[in-house]
Amino acid sequence: MEIKVLEKDDSNMRFLVKGVDVQYVNTLRRLMLAEVPCMAIDEVVVIENSSVLQDEFIAHRLGLIPLKTNLDEYNLPEECPCKSEFGCNLCRVTLTLDAEAKEGTRTIYSGELISENPEIVPVKENIPIMKLTKGQKLKLEAYARLGRGKKHAKWQPVSLCAYKYFPKIEILEKNCDNCGKCVEICPRKVLAKTDGKVEVRDLMACTLCQDCVEACPKNPPAIQVKWEKNSFIFNLESTGALPPERIVKEALKILDGQLKEIEKQIR
Amino acid sequence: MKVKILKETANELKIEIEGAGHTLCNLLQKILLEDENVDLAGYDIPHPLASNPIVYVRTKGKAKPKQALLNALKKAKDINKEFSKTFEKALKKI
Repeated sequence: MEIKVLEKDDSNMRFLVKGVDVQYVNTLRRLMLAEVPCMAIDEVVVIENSSVLQDEFIAHRLGLIPLKTNLDEYNLPEECPCKSEFGCNLCRVTLTLDAEAKEGTRTIYSGELISENPEIVPVKENIPIMKLTKGQKLKLEAYARLGRGKKHAKWQPVSLCAYKYFPKIEILEKNCDNCGKCVEICPRKVLAKTDGKVEVRDLMACTLCQDCVEACPKNPPAIQVKWEKNSFIFNLESTGALPPERIVKEALKILDGQLKEIEKQIR
Repeated sequence: MKVKILKETANELKIEIEGAGHTLCNLLQKILLEDENVDLAGYDIPHPLASNPIVYVRTKGKAKPKQALLNALKKAKDINKEFSKTFEKALKKI
């Protein structure tokens, strides 16, 4: 097995995996989408709402704001020792919002939500929640909880999580007359013509679309696009709730836990 | 994750895994089929919303299906462990 991190920053990660089955990579992808927990607003108590939007509409919008998550300090509500429906300090964070438009119309942004825990705050401060016109008021209390993506997409820590096969492009020099038709048609500019010869410029960018094969005037085509059976390029984009490497590690942990659990019960 | 044994004979095993889905079962099926002693392995989700997956294993000759399943789980755990280690190493390199 071989893993190489191609790109990484605060919210994105791209890595190359070699020597694993599709099924395993797919399991990881599905776990990251549906099982890795993160924080989201789950319940809203509206104290005052004189805006034009209904309470439930605002509650839905609040739920979709990604929150920075601390998985080590908080428990999932169903696993929390408090066993209460309402939650305790270990499984719930209270955020409050008190906004009023005193002078003319204004937009309320996610930055105006005040959290009881300064660590659990909206990922970005400039997410619009709604607009208020002069004299309108919105006052509410929101409870954020940990949850899993399989219950609601607001609990998905990833906004993009996908893999593709590692491409393999073969140019059959015997048949190729370097007409350049494949270079022109490639939408990702994978191929390039250097010194009158067609060459692969950026292999990783290839999406295996086969346009170049179809564009080749030769029969059989002088270019072949294939993929390596057990190599993948994994692309991960976090919503900002968790760092991308943490999401992968969490998925690995969850899979290990599930396998152990089944093993224990069968034995 | 609760496991219910639906059928167990000398060569066959049928279990229901509560709370699992394609995520786990597809991986298990793949690993089970790699086993030489396994004659047939598969899973079925009778209803996408209202039921749990049923995993079926049939082995050849004297091989026990339960052992085949345990081996598969062990193998999956090993792959997971290796991935985990390699991933940590890859993170340190950047």
